[in-house]
Amino acid sequence: MKTEYASAVAAVKAMESTLMTQNDIEQLINTSTKSERQTLIDSRNGDVKNISDVWEMLMTFASDSKELKILLYRNDFHNLKAVLKAMISNRDPEIYYVSPSNVTLEELKKAFRDKEADILPEHMRETARSAYELLTRTLDGQLSDSLIDCAALGAMQKSAADCGSAFMKRYAALTTACSDIKTAYRCSKMGKSRQFLEAAVCGSSELDKEAMIRSALSGVDALFDHLTKSGYGEAAELLKENPAGFEKWCDDVIMELAADARMQAFGVEPLAAYYIAKEAELKNIRIINVCKECGTARGTITERMRKLYV
Amino acid sequence: MNSMGLALAIIGAACASLFAGIGSAKGVGLVGEAAAGVVSVDPNKFSKVLILELLPGTQGLYGLLTAILMLRKIGILGGEVASLTTAQGLMFLGAAMPIAIVGLFSGIAQGRAAAAGVGITAKKPEHNGKGIIMAAMVETYAILALLVSILIINNIAV
Repeated sequence: MKTEYASAVAAVKAMESTLMTQNDIEQLINTSTKSERQTLIDSRNGDVKNISDVWEMLMTFASDSKELKILLYRNDFHNLKAVLKAMISNRDPEIYYVSPSNVTLEELKKAFRDKEADILPEHMRETARSAYELLTRTLDGQLSDSLIDCAALGAMQKSAADCGSAFMKRYAALTTACSDIKTAYRCSKMGKSRQFLEAAVCGSSELDKEAMIRSALSGVDALFDHLTKSGYGEAAELLKENPAGFEKWCDDVIMELAADARMQAFGVEPLAAYYIAKEAELKNIRIINVCKECGTARGTITERMRKLYV
Repeated sequence: MNSMGLALAIIGAACASLFAGIGSAKGVGLVGEAAAGVVSVDPNKFSKVLILELLPGTQGLYGLLTAILMLRKIGILGGEVASLTTAQGLMFLGAAMPIAIVGLFSGIAQGRAAAAGVGITAKKPEHNGKGIIMAAMVETYAILALLVSILIINNIAV
């Protein structure tokens, strides 16, 4: 009988009551000044100010969880990209580094400076070597970015399969599917070659890699047809009409997965779900802040709000 | 004196307190873990989660009660040690089984239910009572097992 992380799950449930509700979001949208918004946000968040605080708290309870670390793979690989490009162009990578991450900035810098990829986690080593070699040989930042992005998704799926968590497997598959749709759509519009698509599209149990590449090479309409036939018709419709709507759809799909996991009393799933929920909440706050600063209409802001966990 | 009969009866008494105690220890431990998680975030909920933590502790008490009743009946506690046949010893051993086995499993199951109840208290403290009721339902089966054990002990002719 699985009773893992009883303490962490209970703590997370206690903190779920501080997550923003639909009412809070409405209130935020109705505020007129930044300070009003900040007061409202501070009253809800307490000690948890940003996503790094959430991660730190989760790690105090579940530092041994391999499953949770998968949630940071995208940050890890983003940082790999950022440090690689910054070092090649002699810039300070610190401003591009995102937290939380499984790999510190110092480790990444050391890995490239001393050409010691072995100090990185196993799932990043080969990618770091290949991306460095590719970027120094071709100076094609786009190609190296697509290689790293694709490797991040592949590593996420592999680690999720290795740890055996159905939740993490689904999370990795959905994240990959959303990313592949975006990549295939952009490549199709830009008329990218099969070779580029093969390096950029990862493939998952949700969407087959070869079929995606074939449809993307045949044009945007063929890609939409393929997505519709693969059960991603809603995503295709949104991509056609409104790319911002598609981005929201991607976040909402992950949130729906998280919402199912919150019913569990034990295990890593409620912890991962809380992290995803907090990420979505912070994204909503960011969208509101930016939209308010730009004077965006209320209706548009509401339309862009991600699904909430509570 | 048939020492085999007495030995079987003592093993029975030991089983009653041992297995029911293990069930309670595991259950209380699990709820304690969950409760500590909640209290680390909100110390004001201590009293509410404490009630849930106590619930799986009862199986251990039932096991102890059964063991005391058996030890009294066979004269180990407060009297002359009875001479038991092997059949009588087996009867005492059998009498201990309901609370020993049900106590073990219900203690663990109640711990899981109560730990899930801690989740309710953590998120919606006003619904704490529902978590307690759900965990307390498991208690029914421990009480039934205790009842059967007591009835058997009382009806063994020594």
